[in-house]
Amino acid sequence: MKDKILMIVFVLVLGSILTAALMAVNFYTIPIIEKNEGIATKSSILKALNISFNQDNVEEIFAENVEEKQQEGTTYYVAKDSNIAFPYSGSGLWGPIEGIIAVQPDFERLKGITIIRQEETPGLGSRIGEAPYLAQFEGKRFSDGLELVKPGRSSRDNQVDSITGATMTSDAFIAILNKNLREVMPAIKQGESQ
Amino acid sequence: MKSSTLAKDQSFKTFINGVWKDHPIFSMILGICSALAISNKVENAIAMGAGVTFVLLATGLLVALLRRLIPTRVRMITYMIVVATFVIIVDRVLKALFPDISQAIGPYVGLIITNCIIMGRAEAFYIQNRIGQSLIDALANGFGYTYTLVSVAVVRELLGFGTILGFQVMPEGFTKWVVMAMAPGAFFVLAIFIWIGRSLAGMEEE
Repeated sequence: MKDKILMIVFVLVLGSILTAALMAVNFYTIPIIEKNEGIATKSSILKALNISFNQDNVEEIFAENVEEKQQEGTTYYVAKDSNIAFPYSGSGLWGPIEGIIAVQPDFERLKGITIIRQEETPGLGSRIGEAPYLAQFEGKRFSDGLELVKPGRSSRDNQVDSITGATMTSDAFIAILNKNLREVMPAIKQGESQ
Repeated sequence: MKSSTLAKDQSFKTFINGVWKDHPIFSMILGICSALAISNKVENAIAMGAGVTFVLLATGLLVALLRRLIPTRVRMITYMIVVATFVIIVDRVLKALFPDISQAIGPYVGLIITNCIIMGRAEAFYIQNRIGQSLIDALANGFGYTYTLVSVAVVRELLGFGTILGFQVMPEGFTKWVVMAMAPGAFFVLAIFIWIGRSLAGMEEE
């Protein structure tokens, strides 16, 4: 009996001590982690809006150039040159894809797209996150939906190239973009027309 | 004098066992899951190796320190609590100080908890040995794990991405071996590594 009580006491005491240690670590790291996430989001918004910045002045450049607005529960960001950015998310092939879409003031053409989080196949699907792939979206007309074509075949201004060997990720990515644009644009148009 | 040379011999033997004779990956085939998953880029391999080494050292220290107090029947639970605590600490610290690396190896940090190297060493070594020896063993096993991961990652990153630590090494027109960047590449390279390691160490299956 005494053994059993000692055993329980040991586990409880050790558990409490280690939990306390974890709480301490958590307490010290939460503000840093939140700040990192904030900076990641802000630098992604700046990148989508094509505003240049470096790692050290993200906060200042963001405060200077971008205004945060709300409309019907949708948060969006308006730059000085009237380009508008908003966050998007959806399911990729393997996991969630999240990032920022920026559109031009005519509400018809894209300004830029960035990816904050994706879990696609390394070396194949993960290439949606690479700068050269995302660069092709600038100036594309999205008002009638973006259309995916085989690599190098894009001719009309709403067509974008897919990635060789990552058809399903490309499909999912375009579907996410179209869905988010369709759902969010009305609110932004309304907000900006006021 | 004699006892100190004996202790030195013992430490040396412990170290060599960890990095070579009882090498966790190619001798004991432990920690394969994370070795397969994280070895696609050298940077990630180093971060994972450092994480596992830290958790090994901390677990070795704590388990060896408490070895006379830990009731035999709950020793497994004790290892789990200890390992889990340090793994969460590694995860938080990576998130706070190295967000890019944390993003890259994200879910696998949590899986250090299930890395059999740590549980295995705790049960086989730390619970019976003094703190000094346990720390040497932890360091040796951590080092053994890390150099294996990094060697596999060098091959995979070079062939799969054409880079080492993100620097372009292969010439411009190099065709990337996509298979190396993906899971099958890890199986090929790790298997070859285990084969070479076992042949060099003269190990044979019974």
